[in-house]
Amino acid sequence: MTFDAIGIASTGMTVHRKWLDAVSDNLANVNNASSTDGAAFQARYVVATAMSYGEPAGAQVAGIELGSAEGRLVHEPDHPLADEEGYVRYPDVDMSSQMTQLIMAQRGYQASAAVVDRARESYQSALQIGRN
Amino acid sequence: MFDSVTSVAMKSALDALSLRQRVIADNIANVNTPGFLAGRVQFEDALANAVRTGGDGGIEATIERSLEPTRENGNNVNLDTETLSNIDANLRYQVATRSIDGGFTAIRTAIRSA
Repeated sequence: MTFDAIGIASTGMTVHRKWLDAVSDNLANVNNASSTDGAAFQARYVVATAMSYGEPAGAQVAGIELGSAEGRLVHEPDHPLADEEGYVRYPDVDMSSQMTQLIMAQRGYQASAAVVDRARESYQSALQIGRN
Repeated sequence: MFDSVTSVAMKSALDALSLRQRVIADNIANVNTPGFLAGRVQFEDALANAVRTGGDGGIEATIERSLEPTRENGNNVNLDTETLSNIDANLRYQVATRSIDGGFTAIRTAIRSA
């Protein structure tokens, strides 16, 4: 199996887009409250691995790991989901870590997108052989 | 004529530069992959040697793994270096295609003038 530069770059874009998806899912659920007898929203973490079939073949998502289901207990007696002692469960999503990951995923995506552009230039120059 | 040292050496250079571009694409795709070591394609010295020693100019490019220090996650891809190498390989590739094209143009001129 041979992989071209554009195909390899697209695997990088896919991995980073999935990471973006995971981060936005985590951020969207950052304030999901649940009752203390239920599980909190678990943060999604993308696990990336390198693909290789003798030749370089890009990156892939090997799986999604879930964060803590325990979350953190917050004292909010007025909350409709609060237990007798007045606690509700919030997900253990670290906002600053998520924002950092958001930027890393975005930059990684952009880097692979730029590779596609440069590979296209090379292919076009190859198409010019014998034209004149 | 088509298996002259120049043609074969230029083809070797094109193949190696194309491999280098794939390896750089792989490095950048894996810029955030834990434990990934950047790949490097070396062929310039081998090609220079092959031409100097009067061989046919055919060489095999090799991929080596960078031994530079890694970040916390075991990854040592440097995005600046990779971007520069990518642009460099791209321009070199274009130079090589022009050079090959120039060779064919010369042949065509010779055919036409006959």
